[in-house]
Amino acid sequence: MKAKHSLIATATTIAFGLFVGPVAVAQNALPQADNTWFTDAGAQLQMRLSMQPNTNRAKNVVIMIADGNGVGTNYATRLFHGQTLGNFGDENVLPKETLPHLALVKTYNVNAQTPDSAGTATAMLAGVKTKAGMIGVDETVSRGDCSTVEAGKVTSINQLMSEAGKSTAIITTARLTHATPAAGYAHAADRNFEDDSALPEGCQVPDIASQLISAMESGMVDLALGGGRRHFIPVDFEDEEGKAGRRTDGRNLIDEAKALGAQYAFDAESFAAIDLNKEGPVLGLFESSHMKYENDRSDEPSLAEMVEASITAMQGNENGFFLAVEAGRVDHANHGSNLYRALTDGVAFAEAVQKVIEMTSDEDTLLIVTADHEHAIAFNGYCGRGTPITGLCYGIDGDGIVHNGVEQLADDGQPYTVVGYLNGGGSILKKEKVATEMMIEAEIVSEAVDDATGEQIAEVDTDTAVSTSDAIQAHGDRLAEDLLSQLDITTEVDEDSGESSSYRWIGSRGPLTQEQATDPDYIQQAMIPRGSETHSGEDVAAYASGPFAHLISGTIEQNYLFNVMRYAATGE
Amino acid sequence: MSQRLVMSLVMTKATRRQFLMCSGAAAAGLLAGGVKAGGSADVKLRDLYNKDLSFSDFAVATDGQRVAVTGYMAPPLKAQSQFFVLTKRPMATCPFCNDGDEWPDDLLAVYARRTVDVQPFNVGIVASGTLQLGDYKDPDTGFFSRVRLVNATFKRD
Repeated sequence: MKAKHSLIATATTIAFGLFVGPVAVAQNALPQADNTWFTDAGAQLQMRLSMQPNTNRAKNVVIMIADGNGVGTNYATRLFHGQTLGNFGDENVLPKETLPHLALVKTYNVNAQTPDSAGTATAMLAGVKTKAGMIGVDETVSRGDCSTVEAGKVTSINQLMSEAGKSTAIITTARLTHATPAAGYAHAADRNFEDDSALPEGCQVPDIASQLISAMESGMVDLALGGGRRHFIPVDFEDEEGKAGRRTDGRNLIDEAKALGAQYAFDAESFAAIDLNKEGPVLGLFESSHMKYENDRSDEPSLAEMVEASITAMQGNENGFFLAVEAGRVDHANHGSNLYRALTDGVAFAEAVQKVIEMTSDEDTLLIVTADHEHAIAFNGYCGRGTPITGLCYGIDGDGIVHNGVEQLADDGQPYTVVGYLNGGGSILKKEKVATEMMIEAEIVSEAVDDATGEQIAEVDTDTAVSTSDAIQAHGDRLAEDLLSQLDITTEVDEDSGESSSYRWIGSRGPLTQEQATDPDYIQQAMIPRGSETHSGEDVAAYASGPFAHLISGTIEQNYLFNVMRYAATGE
Repeated sequence: MSQRLVMSLVMTKATRRQFLMCSGAAAAGLLAGGVKAGGSADVKLRDLYNKDLSFSDFAVATDGQRVAVTGYMAPPLKAQSQFFVLTKRPMATCPFCNDGDEWPDDLLAVYARRTVDVQPFNVGIVASGTLQLGDYKDPDTGFFSRVRLVNATFKRD
């Protein structure tokens, strides 16, 4: 076991060190010569000067993807992790941040400025950018059209690595049939084709769950650990937790995997009972749908525990292994605008990264740690050091280091959290019922008719008014139209009852305490109302160490990661 | 245009009062938004469950007693109902109306005293009622619950 390069320094010291590097010969004369920031940066500089490109052949390749964990979300995780360790957070170094190489990754899909996880996973694990929502196929495929899949299939990294004699594993805290893990082994015109019940009539392409079992049978996937049990069992069959399956073809894929010789686990106890030295595949399905958030986890393994088991099972292969790891639920918590769970799952991901670092050597293992896309997450200021990253923004203390404990107030007189989302369920706009549009209009017209002056009546277009009373009504109508357009009232008619109701999206921010804001269930405030907060198209980072990790630098297209993994492992 | 004019002529002062009352209700709701009406004594959904989804000691001890629980009103199964589901975090869509939607394990069925005035999905509420543990299948909706609030009222949090 050999330690990775450790870059124990903050981003600030790195930047500073690089800047002053060329004039370092005179550093002893500088007044800051004994300043810790300066000396740390000097050590950083010397370490980087001694680095040499690692051009060994990669025996092992590990790619770790935290879904929806772009640079912004990662920043929040860094602070949260640090604050749970008792420091301010900013100075904290996540395990992946010790890796020596870094690139910024452009994540868009070919038809989407804002990417989805199917398109991004296909880019990373199958080497081509494609359309949003599609798995393991190129952009010639139309979403949902099974007939175009065969011609559009591309080869996954799992397939390449298994052909090179390596063991392969796919681990996720989401469903194993979900977009990101699926791109390692499946081809689908739509990410939602997770079991046969979701396939359109006449579709000749197998569903995603059955493709996983086929991949296990062919040896393309040796270990698969995650959630999604419901897609592997029939609709009239209950799983170990009493939840029904989704399959309508009568197949029980868990039984089929067992028939192939697979060891199967469904909870912490059966997971612990797996014989990692035994030949044959391993299938772990720990939830009916996604695995639990780390904050809510019970009776199922952590991501780090699944990583440890997988590497232990595969490290005996003299040809090496390929491991794909997804922290699938950072994304889900972000979608729910629940920062706390995004960050606790982010920390669980960090622990999984640390496990890989500890169990592998950068002499023979290419490790890439990245995300598939970012979210509409945003950060407020100006907060002092040590402000709780999930909570309210405290002010800066000009006389010291730690925040001044004073909640910063917006122009509406209310405090605000450090982190918010541009859109999502935490929107301050609520869909509030109002009197029906017709009633409001009638009220306005009635008032106007009562109060109409001769001057106002005279303004009415005489072409549309044939009498004085008609002109008064027209005046009222005009006022009503103007006012209603300003109120942005929308009227809906219930299809069943035929009753109409009117509403406006309105709202303002109320009082918020630090206790409420830092509660694990708190929903961060957002501006635009959406039931599910969205992804964003901004860049994510890719951290790397090991053979040919130096090829990961600059600003890259996401699918380039596939080429680096392939080259590092095969030279092609 | 002519239809609108006819409508305007038949409206009465009662309509005006109704309009003003509706507007007032909306405004009151806004003012109350974000204010924790019940204070810290309110129970959170997570207080009723252990991580393994068994009932907490608190839930067992409170069975049969009146309790106030904070959460969000999931979009209702059907209109004009006295039943709704309280969830820990906002649910934008009715989970039962779409097979693909995720449905949280930790929820609370609420049987209200009166027909429910449906609230926006992202408005926090406090539901007060008698806590009732034990399996129950709703004869109208088929909704199966392990824990409920019965004889309940609710207000905005």
